[in-house]
Amino acid sequence: MNEVVGALWNPIVAKEYRTRMRTWRSPFAITLYIVLLGGIAWAIFTVMSLTATGQFGGSPTNYGQQLFTFLILFQVALLAFITPALTAGSISGERERQTIDLLFVTPIRPFSIIWGKLLASLSFVVLLLVISVPIFSLVFLFGGIELDQMLYSFAVTAMTALTLGFIGVAFSTLFRRTLVATVAAYGGAFVLLAGCYLYGFLFPVVADPNATTTPAPPAITLISPVIPLLTIATNAPVPLYGVRYPNGGYGLAGGGNSGACATQPNGATFCSTAISGVKGGGTLSPTGVVQSGGGPTIATGLFQGWQYWQASIVMQVMICLVALGLSALVLPPVHRFRLRRRPAPARVQA
Amino acid sequence: MIAVEQLTKTYGARAALDHVSFEVPQREIFGFVGPNGAGKTTTLRILAALLEPTDGKAYIDGADVTKDREKVHSKIGYMPDFFGVYDQLTVGEYLDFYAACYRQPKQRRQKIVDDLLALVGMTERKHQLVDTLSRGLKQRVCLARALVHDPAVLLLDEPASGLDPRARVEMREILKELQGMGKTIIISSHILPELTELCTMIGIIDHGRMRATGSVRDVIARLSSGRRLRITVIEERDAALEILTPLAFVRHAEAVNGAIEAEYDGDEKTASDILSALIGAGIHVSSFAPVDGGLEDAFMRATSEEVG
Repeated sequence: MNEVVGALWNPIVAKEYRTRMRTWRSPFAITLYIVLLGGIAWAIFTVMSLTATGQFGGSPTNYGQQLFTFLILFQVALLAFITPALTAGSISGERERQTIDLLFVTPIRPFSIIWGKLLASLSFVVLLLVISVPIFSLVFLFGGIELDQMLYSFAVTAMTALTLGFIGVAFSTLFRRTLVATVAAYGGAFVLLAGCYLYGFLFPVVADPNATTTPAPPAITLISPVIPLLTIATNAPVPLYGVRYPNGGYGLAGGGNSGACATQPNGATFCSTAISGVKGGGTLSPTGVVQSGGGPTIATGLFQGWQYWQASIVMQVMICLVALGLSALVLPPVHRFRLRRRPAPARVQA
Repeated sequence: MIAVEQLTKTYGARAALDHVSFEVPQREIFGFVGPNGAGKTTTLRILAALLEPTDGKAYIDGADVTKDREKVHSKIGYMPDFFGVYDQLTVGEYLDFYAACYRQPKQRRQKIVDDLLALVGMTERKHQLVDTLSRGLKQRVCLARALVHDPAVLLLDEPASGLDPRARVEMREILKELQGMGKTIIISSHILPELTELCTMIGIIDHGRMRATGSVRDVIARLSSGRRLRITVIEERDAALEILTPLAFVRHAEAVNGAIEAEYDGDEKTASDILSALIGAGIHVSSFAPVDGGLEDAFMRATSEEVG
């Protein structure tokens, strides 16, 4: 037990906390983060207010939902910029400072070195998430978002930041130079967030025109947090994302093109397009508040019956495990397992 | 305490170490001398279990560096040829961090840090940021860092590199104190004269091959096959050279800075024969003394292409 605790909470974590928070960069990053997030919240609210005034319409419920959707997506985008910067130099920086050998000769295991770096970096990300809570609480002024939706969204966001952190550390372990590792980590972040999201547009699932359920987008698209966050925020599957109908239409055999609904395996009814501001998928309570905060379930495919955010988190956990395993395999200066051992040449005679 | 047997390390076709062997008994200071790229750092990194040899064995107090890495790490204090310091940490915090890494109990760490700072003479610098220290002081902190777990063996890679003369002297004093504490020390360096005084043993390495190893005196004697004499004569230098040059045991004789330097094969009896020959020819010899090339001379010979 002590071994496990020692591996998870090791001196590197305390050292990283100490050195990280003593530089000007940390308070600057926190300030910038809050200013940007607060700024976008203010900008969105202003735009929505102006639009509502001009049209003599707009429901307070919709305000909250739209504000939340923009904020949570913007927060993920911000973290996608911050997390690689925090983690990509973690191991390569030790190499560049030439301190890595000094850690290797201590009893600290390579896994603990990686974990210590990750924990310190991701604690900072968690700090950013925590200080963003007051901004997100503005959403509750307007309603339309339940606490569980907020919690699920933060879980997906935190998991995404964690995954980006693991990817950053993996690249930092693989590449000797921080610059290369940083570029690779940002590339990884782009693939994870935007690449997997765009995959749904480029390679959509071909729907059976005779099917009575809306097929789910390809599973790989759920690695990106964009779709899971949208489904949590809107409590509905994202219409027409990741699905292509061979006849060029948009609907199901059992329904029309607009507002088509389908019965899910779990008995819930989903609508593929928006219905009066609150998109389908949830059930409306008598007071009009959307229930089932985790959003709709996935209709078909590998994660059938799961909620989108659950599938996303599971896939990201798998990426994290692969990245962690790769890092732990590459980091040690001397590897336990080698594919082949080259015989030493005979002594050169003078 | 330290045994290296036929250690070989190759990078592609290039051999960084070519069947290097030596032994260092307990409480000895072993000077590992060689030009840049000779294989000193490679050997020390293998001994520190940071690099796997292509072939051969190395043991630290009986622990195989390729198999018992954790045991090896517990026995060695490794000081590489660079500082390896963190920004934003004070000297005390820096040492405390490594003490924690070596799993020293929290309640003991403060005393360990204070004792080590006293040993390297840096008690008053405890709260200064490591990164702001001078080169010499950083070296001392790095030495203290290598001692946080009280290792029996110290592997010091160029500890005096880039230090001013005063800092070198201070470093030498600290190392002597460590030897007195019973540590077995390997120091690599290409700054030769200071090793002559400090080391009890020496190994000369060049192009990955061990040219000579043993006690300092033995190595110098072994490599000094051609002894040198400095002879001063009164106004008869050319005549003296004419007498010395034909002698069978004199390899070479030449005028150097108003004196004559003669290189010869033989022992002290041969030197007395040379003196007798000069005096017998009526040369007025005012001084006649052996030239001690010391470690520098031995090193130059050992690392020259002719000496194998």
